[in-house]
Formats: sequence, C-alpha cells, structure tokens
Amino acid sequence: MKHKSILLLAAKAVLTLTTCVLICWIAPWLYHFATDRTHRTPFTLYSSVTGEFASIVHENGQNSYIGQSGQRYTEAQFDSILPMFYYRQLIADERLPDTLFGQAINPRTIQTENFIFRTMPAEVNKKTIPLYPLLESMSGRVDLEMPSDVFRITGKGIEFIDMESNRTDTAKSRLFTDALLRKGFAFPAQIVSGNGTTRKEYDNGYLLTDSSHKLYNLRMVQGRPYVRKIDMPDGLIPEHMFVTEFRNRRWIGFIADNRQRFWVLETGTYQFRQVELPPFSPSNTSMTIIGNMFDWTVILENQESGMLIAIDAGSLRKIKTMKTAQPTLTVAERIGEKIPQLRFLSPLDKKVFPYFN
Amino acid sequence: MNAFFYKEWLKNRWFYLLSAAFSLLLCLYVTLNLHRLCNLRGAAHFWEAALTKDAIFIQLLHYMPLLLGIAAALVQFIPEMLQKRIKLTLHLPCNYFYSIGSMLLFGLCMLCCIFLLNLSALGIALRSIFAPEIVSRILLTALPWYLSGLTAYVLCAWICLEPNWKRRVLNGIVSACVLRIFFMSDTPEAYNRFLPILAVYTLLICALPFISVERFKTGKD
Amino acid sequence: MIECKHLTHYYGKRLIYEDLSFTVPQGRILGLLGKNGTGKTTTINLLSGFLKPHSGECRIFGQDVQQMEPALRRNIGLLIEGHVQYTFMDIRQIERFYARFYPNWKSKIYYELMDLLQVAPKQRISRMSCGQRSQVALGLLMAQDPELLILDDFSLGLDPGYRRLFIDYLRDFVKSKGKTVFLTSHIIQDMERLIDDCIIMDYGHILLQKPVSYLLENYYQYNFTLSQPCRLDIPEFYHPNILHNRVETGGFLPPEAAEGILQAHGVDYSDFSARHVPLEDIFIGLTGKY
Repeated sequence: MKHKSILLLAAKAVLTLTTCVLICWIAPWLYHFATDRTHRTPFTLYSSVTGEFASIVHENGQNSYIGQSGQRYTEAQFDSILPMFYYRQLIADERLPDTLFGQAINPRTIQTENFIFRTMPAEVNKKTIPLYPLLESMSGRVDLEMPSDVFRITGKGIEFIDMESNRTDTAKSRLFTDALLRKGFAFPAQIVSGNGTTRKEYDNGYLLTDSSHKLYNLRMVQGRPYVRKIDMPDGLIPEHMFVTEFRNRRWIGFIADNRQRFWVLETGTYQFRQVELPPFSPSNTSMTIIGNMFDWTVILENQESGMLIAIDAGSLRKIKTMKTAQPTLTVAERIGEKIPQLRFLSPLDKKVFPYFN
Repeated sequence: MNAFFYKEWLKNRWFYLLSAAFSLLLCLYVTLNLHRLCNLRGAAHFWEAALTKDAIFIQLLHYMPLLLGIAAALVQFIPEMLQKRIKLTLHLPCNYFYSIGSMLLFGLCMLCCIFLLNLSALGIALRSIFAPEIVSRILLTALPWYLSGLTAYVLCAWICLEPNWKRRVLNGIVSACVLRIFFMSDTPEAYNRFLPILAVYTLLICALPFISVERFKTGKD
Repeated sequence: MIECKHLTHYYGKRLIYEDLSFTVPQGRILGLLGKNGTGKTTTINLLSGFLKPHSGECRIFGQDVQQMEPALRRNIGLLIEGHVQYTFMDIRQIERFYARFYPNWKSKIYYELMDLLQVAPKQRISRMSCGQRSQVALGLLMAQDPELLILDDFSLGLDPGYRRLFIDYLRDFVKSKGKTVFLTSHIIQDMERLIDDCIIMDYGHILLQKPVSYLLENYYQYNFTLSQPCRLDIPEFYHPNILHNRVETGGFLPPEAAEGILQAHGVDYSDFSARHVPLEDIFIGLTGKY
C-alpha cells in the first residue's frame, strides 16, 4: 500500500510537471502566433562616396532611399552613391565612372574585388560529419573535380577512405600523415575547416589546428600533400576558421580567435591582419561582410541587437559604425517580449534542447 | 511476472511478429534501394549528399516507430477495456503495480527488441556503403524516432486505461503535445544532447498508466 | 464474511442509496434482488473493489475492501457480468495462466468440468458459445476454490439448459465445501433454486433481507374484488394493483389477519383469496411492477 501511494504520488508529480512544461511552451507560442508581426530590416550599406551608411527602407508600400544623416535619394542617386554594389545598373545607364578615389575601375576589377561573406551561429554550431573531401588544388583544369575519397583525422594520423569501396587508402594515408608529421603536426586535429565543394573557382585546401592549437594549411597539389605551418601572433588561439576562396585571391581565410578578435589570413605571405571590429563570437552572432575594393560593410547581429561597421578595405580599420534600426513593436509585441517562453529549438544551433527565452 | 508475460504473449504475439517483420522489411527496402542507387549512380554521390546536404536516406522510417508504438498499445490495452476485462487482471491476488507493470514491461520489451533489430539491421546494411561516421550520424538521427515509439506506447496505454471519455480526450491532447517534441527538427543529430533527458522522461511517464488504473479502481467513469 | 456499513453512493448528483448496511454470514448463499437502477451492480462493484463509496465501508474477511491486501483476494472468486474472460486463450492456456496465482489450485475439478463441454483443447474461448464460456468461468472458480464467491449476473446470456447446469454445479460445489456466495441475477427463478438468503433492494434502500424459505412460507398474494373503486393505503399490503376493481396485492399476514385488516379499514370487498407464490412473484409484489 505504501508503494502504491508513492507510485501514485510520483505519477501525479510527473503529470503535473508535464502539464506545466506544456503550458510554458504552448501558451506563449500561441500568444506570439496571434500577435507577432513581420518586421523588415532595411537593407543598409556603407557608401565610400558619401562617407556614411545608406539604407533602403520600405515605407507606405514603397522603397525609400535614405542616408544615415536623413538625406533622401532617388533610386538613381542611390545607385551612384553605391557604385561597387550597383555597378551593373550603372553600366546599363552608362553612368559608371572610369576612376573612383584615384583608382581605375572597370566591371572586371569590380567583379573580382567584390565579395560576400556570411556566417551564422546555426551553421557554426552545427554538428558536422568529420569526413572531408580534399580537392586537387592544381589539376591544370579550369573546373575543380570532387575527389573519389574523403579524409578523417584521428589521434594517429590522417586516413583517406575511398567512397566507392568504403576502404582505407593506406598508401595515401601514410603519405599525408608523414607530411603532416614532418611539419610538426600533433594529432588529433582540434579544428578542420574548408570548403569541400566544386562550386568555387579555386581551392585553398583546409585550415587545421592540431592538438597544441598550432595552425596549418593542408592542400593536395598534383596528388601530393602540401602542408604549411602558419605562424600566428602571440596569444592567438583560433576558435572558428573560415577558408575563403574569393575571386580576388587575397586571403586564405578568416579567423575568429578565443579573445573574440577577427583576423584575415593573407594568401602568399600567410600573414595575419586584424580587422578592427568590436568583440564578437560567430557562435552567437551572425556576420555578413559585403566587401569591395574600397570598403567592407560588416553586419553583426545577435538575438538582442545588430550593428553595422564600415571597414577600410586597405587598412582593415574601422571607418564608421551604426546600430541597426530597431523595429517599432506593437503593444502586444512589447508585452510578448516580457513573457518567459519555454522553447526547444535554439536559433543558435539547430539542436533541440529546452531553454527559456 | 512470467504469467503476465505469458498472457500478453498469447494475446499479442501475432501483432509483434508481424510488426517485427514489417519494420525489418521496411529497413531492408530502404537499404536495398540505397544499394541499388549506389550501383547506378556511384556511392560517392551519396557520400557527398550525406556530407554536404545532411541527407540521411532513411526518411521513410521517420514515423514508423511512432505508429508501431501507438498500435502496440491499442492492440494490447483496448481488449482489456472492452467489457472491462481489466477487472480480471485487477482482481488477481497481486498488487496492480505488478500486474499492470508487467503488462507495460512486456510491451516495452517487445518494442525495444523490434527497434534494436531495426537499428542493428540498418547499421549493418549502411556500414557496407558508408564510413562509421556517416552510419552513426544516421542512427543517432533515427534514435529519437524510436524513442518516440516507446513514449507513444506508454502514453497510449495511459489513454486506453483511463475509464472516463472526457479524460481520455484530455490525455490525448497532452500526449500529442509531448510526442510533438520528438519531431521538432529534421536536422541530423539535433537531439543528441536532449536524448538522455527524453529517455529518462520516458521511464518516468511509465507511472502515468497507474493513475488511470487507480481511477478505474475507484469507479471514476 | 461480508459486512457493509452505512454505504452511501452517488453517480454524479443521482443518489443510488443512502446509509445502506447489510451482512452476509459465512456459509450462506445470498442473492441481491432489485430492479434496474436500484444499485445491484454498484454493490457488486463496491464489494469487488472497483468502486469507492461516497461514504461508508465494505469489509470482507474483516478487511476494508479498498485497503485489502492483494494476497487476500486469493480467497475471493469473482465472476464478471457476461462471464467475461480472456477470449484469446484456449481452455488449457487459461487454466495454466490462473494456476500460477493460486497455490490451492485444483486442476482436476476444472478439467472434469471441461470434459463435459466437449470442446477441443485448443479451441479458443472466443469461439465458444455463451453457455460454454459460462462453464469455463465456473470451472475456473471451482479450481480456485475460494472461500467467498461474488457473481455478477451469472445467468446473463445463458439458455435455460446452461443456466440449470451452472446452478446445479455451483450449488453442489458451494454446499459441499461450505462456501459463501454473494450473487445477483435478473432471472429470479434461478435464484430461487440457488440462494439461501436474499436482499431485496428498492430505490435508495434495502426493502428486506430474509431467508428465501421465510419468504416462500410467509408471503401471501392476496386477490379480492372491490365493490366500488377506492384507494388502498394500507401499510400491510404491498403495491396493490387494481384493474377493473380486481385487486392483486401481497403481504406477510396470514389470510385471516389480512381480511381483518381490510375490514378494520372499512374496505368493501368480496372474493378474497390468498396463496403462496414463487420468489419472482414475491419480488414483484414487494417492489411493484413499475
């Protein structure tokens, strides 16, 4: 009888807990479903021509073109103050200048120098399969080809597995392991970063950190391993690395370190250059860089706020900053923000785990 | 407990044998189809899909464990409630904790056996095509589906054993909401961190059917 | 053996009965008679532990039914209305199942009864007739050999042959071993053959609890004709039924005393007759036709 009472008490406790959890989850969700409205973020870029940010704001069913200091532009004027972004429109209107800031510009150079870089917490925090295709960097062909194998890095070395036969290529594995060991690589790897896709113009291989946080670049050149140990500034420990293969071929990659600094790693010299950005971590902040030969517009956004930073493309110093405009919330939405909500899907990683918003 | 297992086996054996066969055939179909496609298009194509597009190739099995769990509970407990046959069990000279608990344990064990068979078959078949990292990703992605089957079984037992129709509807709503949690994301391995908690929760909710039985015993219909 | 005190129960707001008390002595077969809705099934459910009374208590073997130790249920045999059993089993499987719970299980008695049924050993209970199922249920009860048997409407769905068979076997089993039985049935003729005592329930209360022999010997059905229509509000006469001035009623007074009552009340009557009637007529006489 005693056991029965304990069991029933436990059962009722579980039921109560379940009901409370479901209420904390579903009631706020219903409230938000009924009251939340879509809020558009204005498209904003830094204009080197005006020296300030310029935005496209959707108001009264129409687009308005507004500068940071309140100056209003026509659409044609807006194209002109952002020539690197709207160069195709300017070409069509025969309004593209020959030079800008003393530098000759043409469609080819603009295309080569323009780049867009995007990173989101959901992608950074995603659990990936630790198998990576190592493309041939110098095949002599214009188009890249996917390899027939993928590699994994273990505590003992690097292993290549042939995808068709699902077997280890021991010879190739030995070759590459020895190459890494010769350069002082201490297995296993901490971080492996690269773009295992043929949808790019060339291949920069992979950036790896070993068990002592030393940085390496690994490529395959005509079937043979290419390993370069990269010297880092003192105290720099990479936390997130992004191999970049932009048309301008200026950089091997971008690196966010454990002190929330952001660096570029230059091609050729393998020099580190810090970008003057406020401290941020890609694991909780999304970053978009719209860059051209003169400036970068860096957009950093997290769950609380957003910020735009204009960076000089040459010196990588900060030019200007601007907070992203906060949407005007309705009364119901403002109340909704105060209601604690139990959620299971985190926007920071695509994982399911309960947390209170 | 043996007596109850014997009784439940007599009652449900065909259901569980058919379920095991059906689920294994489904697993076989999925893996054989994959083998066939690998032969046609090359395995590398599917490796790339797994590595770059988060493909897991076994989507066909997504809701199968859930449906099996629900069906197992219905097949096992609806006959008990017809003509209030459960009175026979509750009148036996043992605590209903043992009698109903044995019945639940039987169902859970049978489902666990079937699910383990499924996962083993999948693991063996997929390992012949893919590296262990890809196979473990696929199986870890499928684990919450199978756990949902066990949870669905317990929750359906809770609903079936409830003597009052209005309460059954309420229990059904609660159960649907709980089971929704198992299907919140299609991202592979999204449940890795949550799975142990969900497993513990599934064990805890095994107590819920006893609320229904206690209500039946006190005549709350 | 059974003791119920001050039982009160409601279904929602509807009162079933209030302050109901009765006992069932050891070694007696007691039948619960009552019209539909008087609380017979409620009482069976209370006794078998499937209903918690609004107030009051039921005790079996001196223990509160709601708190009874599970092991004590070995001594209570329960027959559920409709002879409900596990229909997916055959007669061997069901015997094998139940035998594990009762240390004093008597397989021989069970199989002797099953031999009479002429069913195949592997025939499922679901494929048996109602009558055969009732015998299986009886066989299981007899094999269990409990001290107390609670039978809920044991004659439901049975044809006269199987009802007679059931009653004969049950009575023989119970009387030879001094068992106590508490049962209900809609077929009162069967009850008359089987039970020693009866409780007649009316809406909300017990009308009477007496040995069947007492009722058969002391209850009279009175028939007489009124000279002119009149109301018969005489407490000694139960539910008088008047049709074309012909009265049919009943009571426990001898015929002479009954006539004396009529005269004392100034009732102008003729053609008075009194006779003993079967239990069914006694029941209808005491509870009324409607």
